[in-house]
Amino acid sequence: MHHRFSRRAVLLSMGGAALSASMPVRHAFAQMDAEPWAFLTDDEARWLAAIADIFIPEDDHPSASQAGVVDYIDMQLATGYGQGQGLYLQGPFPEGTPEQGWQLPVTPAELIRNGIAAAREETDLATLPDTDRLTWVEAFSKREDPIGDAPAQTFFGELLSLTKEGYFADPIYLGNHDYAGWRMVGFPGAHAYFTERVGDNAPTKQPPMGIAHGQLGHRAPRPISQEG
Amino acid sequence: MATRTLPKTDVVIVGGGWTGLTAAYELAHAGQRCVVLERGQNRHTATSFAGPEEHDELKYALRHGHMQDLKKETLTFRNNRDQQALPMRRLGSFLPGTGLGGAGIHWNGQIWRPLPSDLEMRSHYEDRYGSQFIPDDLTIQDWGVTYDELEPHLDFFERICGAAGYAGNLNGETRAGGNVFEGQRSADYPNPAMKQPISNTLFGKAAEKLGYNPFPMPSANVTQAYENPYGAQLHPCTYCGFCERFGCGYFAKADPIICVYDRIKDHDNFEIRFEAQVLRVEKSEDGQTATGVTYLGEDGVEVFQPADTVCLNAYGLWNVHLMLVSDLGKPYDPATRTGVVGRNYAYQTVAAVDAFFDSDVITNPFMGAGALGVVVDDFNGDNFDHAELGFLGGGYIACKQYNGRPISYQPTPEGTPAWGGDWKRAVRENYNHHGDLVIHGSSVSTHENYLDLDPTWTDAYGRPLLRMTFNFPDNDRKMGDYVMNRAVEIAQEMDNVTSVSSVNMAAKGKDYSIVPYQTTHNAGGAVMGTDPTTSVVNRFGQMWDHHNVFVFGACLFPQNPGYNPTGPLMGLAYWTLDHMKTDYLSNPRPLMDA
Repeated sequence: MHHRFSRRAVLLSMGGAALSASMPVRHAFAQMDAEPWAFLTDDEARWLAAIADIFIPEDDHPSASQAGVVDYIDMQLATGYGQGQGLYLQGPFPEGTPEQGWQLPVTPAELIRNGIAAAREETDLATLPDTDRLTWVEAFSKREDPIGDAPAQTFFGELLSLTKEGYFADPIYLGNHDYAGWRMVGFPGAHAYFTERVGDNAPTKQPPMGIAHGQLGHRAPRPISQEG
Repeated sequence: MATRTLPKTDVVIVGGGWTGLTAAYELAHAGQRCVVLERGQNRHTATSFAGPEEHDELKYALRHGHMQDLKKETLTFRNNRDQQALPMRRLGSFLPGTGLGGAGIHWNGQIWRPLPSDLEMRSHYEDRYGSQFIPDDLTIQDWGVTYDELEPHLDFFERICGAAGYAGNLNGETRAGGNVFEGQRSADYPNPAMKQPISNTLFGKAAEKLGYNPFPMPSANVTQAYENPYGAQLHPCTYCGFCERFGCGYFAKADPIICVYDRIKDHDNFEIRFEAQVLRVEKSEDGQTATGVTYLGEDGVEVFQPADTVCLNAYGLWNVHLMLVSDLGKPYDPATRTGVVGRNYAYQTVAAVDAFFDSDVITNPFMGAGALGVVVDDFNGDNFDHAELGFLGGGYIACKQYNGRPISYQPTPEGTPAWGGDWKRAVRENYNHHGDLVIHGSSVSTHENYLDLDPTWTDAYGRPLLRMTFNFPDNDRKMGDYVMNRAVEIAQEMDNVTSVSSVNMAAKGKDYSIVPYQTTHNAGGAVMGTDPTTSVVNRFGQMWDHHNVFVFGACLFPQNPGYNPTGPLMGLAYWTLDHMKTDYLSNPRPLMDA
C-alpha cells in the first residue's frame, strides 16, 4: 500500500543523524505518519524537528521529535491555542515592557510561521550539520535583534515552551509518545489514587497511564511503510 | 437602555461562585427571592470534573480551560502612573475563573483564618511600635471588624468545607502541633489533618530543630467521609495531585457546587441564569439606591432585572470594574488621593525556596493535594518582633506537595541551563528528590497601587477595561527577603538536602510582572472600613453611597494579609449575610452613619 504522504519521510529528508539513528518500532510516526500536517509545511516541520532536538536531544530517552513533539506542535498551531483562543487581540498595539507581556498583533500560529520564515531566510537550521545546529541555537537564545517582525526572545520562548509541552503533555495531544517524557521522570499519569502511599519514601513502579490509556495512548503501532 | 425588563425580585446576585451561591443559600432561606446571574456556563462537579479526563495538565493548567476568556473581559496593566497601561492579552500572574462555582472550583483548598492583628493592622502596629513606625506612603487600615466578631463565621465556613487540620488555640488553650499563633477557636477543625509526604515531614523536623512551630496546613481537601451543615456529602482526598487549576471529580475538595449549589438549587426562592453577563448596576433617579442590574442574556438581548437588594459577588477585580462602569461610589484619584473605588489594590508577595535531596529521599511529587503542606507561621503577621526590621507584615513558610504534573513541575538546581542535554538530565535526576517551599507573604496598600478605568481599550461589551497600576512596595520587598531567608535556613537544616536555591518575586529592582503565575489573590479596590473617605463599604459590607448594594470578596480587604483569601472572605460573607438577615432586610437603611 502506498502512502501519499509520510511525516517520517519528511523529517528524515532533513538528513540529520538524530532522527535516523534510532527509529524504534513504536515510534511516534507509527501513529500519525500517513496523516498530512494539520498546519505545518514540510519545511517548517523539518525546521521545528531540528530545533526541538537541540532543546531535547536524544540520550537514554528519546529526543523531542522521536517523542512526537513535531506532531504535537503541528496540532497545537492548528487548533485553539495556535489560533489565538483566549488571547485578547484588540488594538492598538503599542510596544510595552517585558512586565506587560504579550503585545503582538498576531496569533501564536502566525508568530511561529513568520518566525520560522524569517529564521530560514538567514540560515536554514535543518540543513546545517548537527554540531553547527547547537551553535546556532545557542546564539539565537541570546539574540536581541528582532526576528522578522517579532521580538526574538518571544519567538524563542514560545518554541521552547511548545517543545517541553509536547514532550510531557498527555499523549492524546500526539507528543509524549509511548509516555517518553513521563517514563523519563517517573510520572505515573492521569489515573491517580495515592491515599495509601502518600507518606511512603519508596519508588513508584507502576507504568504510566494516560487519559486514553488502552485507547489512543496505547494503540498498537501501525507498520511503517518502507516506501515513504 | 435595556430592551427587556423582567419582574422585580427581592435580591439579585452578580456571580455564582463561593460568595454568590452562599448569599443565595442564606437569603433564600430567609424568605428572599434570589436571582443569581452567572456570566459563565452551567457545569457540575460530578459530570464536568471527572477523571481521568480532568487530569489533563495541558488543557487546564496551561491552556486555562476553567478560566475566564480574555477576549471577552480583561484589564490593562502598568507598574506606575508614568507608563501607559497595556492590555493583559494572555493570562499569567493570576487566573480568575468563570462558570458555575467560579474560581472556587479551581482553588487549592488552603483554608485560613486571618490573625486577630491582621484585622486591626494600623492600630495594632501603632499600639505596639508607636505611630511613627508606619511609613507615610502606606495606606494600611483597620478592617472595621474584629477577629472575635468574625470567629463564628470563619468557623462555620470551615464546617461547610469539612476542613482538615489541628487547632493550635482551642478556646484559649495553646496546643503544640497546631498553629500556636492563631486566634482563639471555638471548635477544632471538623476533620483530622492530612497525611504528609516525606518532604513535608523533613521540613517540619528541621523547623522544630530551629525552634519554630510547624503544623499541618489547614485544608479543604477533605480527609474522611463528611456531611456539611447544609447536608452536602464530601469524600476523602485521594492525593491525586490535580487541585489547583482543576475541578475535583472525587467530591474531596470542597467547592461551591457540591457544598452549596446542590443544596439550594431546588429551593423555591432560588433561580440561577447562566451566560448572563452583567453589564452595569442601575441606580434610582435620586442616585441613593440601586434599582437592579442590566445584563446581556444568552440570546444577546440586554435585560433589566429589577431588585430591592443588589449583591456584588463577582471576582474582586470585576466587582470593582462593575462599580466603576456603573458610577457606583467615588472613583479613587491618586493625584489628589481622594475617592475610594479602586483604592488600596493589593496583591500577595510570593517567594520560593527549592531544596534538593540526595537519592535516599524519594518524594513522589505526583502524590499531592492543593493544601498538602507543613507550615511555619513564626514569621507571619506580627508574630515576630518588627521593631528593628524596617517593614510591616510577614508571611507563612510552607513546604508543600501540590503536584508532580510534569510540564510545569521541573525543579532543577541553580545554574541548570534552560534546555539541552544538561537540562534534560537535571530534570530527570531531580524530579523525585525535591522539597518545594513557598513564602506566602502579605501585601501592604499604598497611595500608588490602585484600579481605575482604562482610557483606550474596551471589552467585548464596549465597556472600558479595568486598569491596574501596581508594583511591589519597598516594605514588601524587604519583608519578602527577610522571610525568604528564614525559609532558606530551614531548608539548609533539612536532612538529606544537597542544595538550596531561592527566588523572591518581589526582589529589589524587580518590577512586578503580569507574565509568570504568582497567585490568584488579588485584593482590595472596594475596601471595607468605618470611614467613608477611605472605604467603599462600611464594616458590614454595605456601600456607603447606596445602602441596598452589598459587596463580597477579597476586594473588601484594606490590604492583603499573609494568608490565602478564601477563608477570610467567606468569613466576611457570612458576617455580612448575618447582618442582612437579622438587621437590614426587615428595615432597609444604612447600617452605619456616614
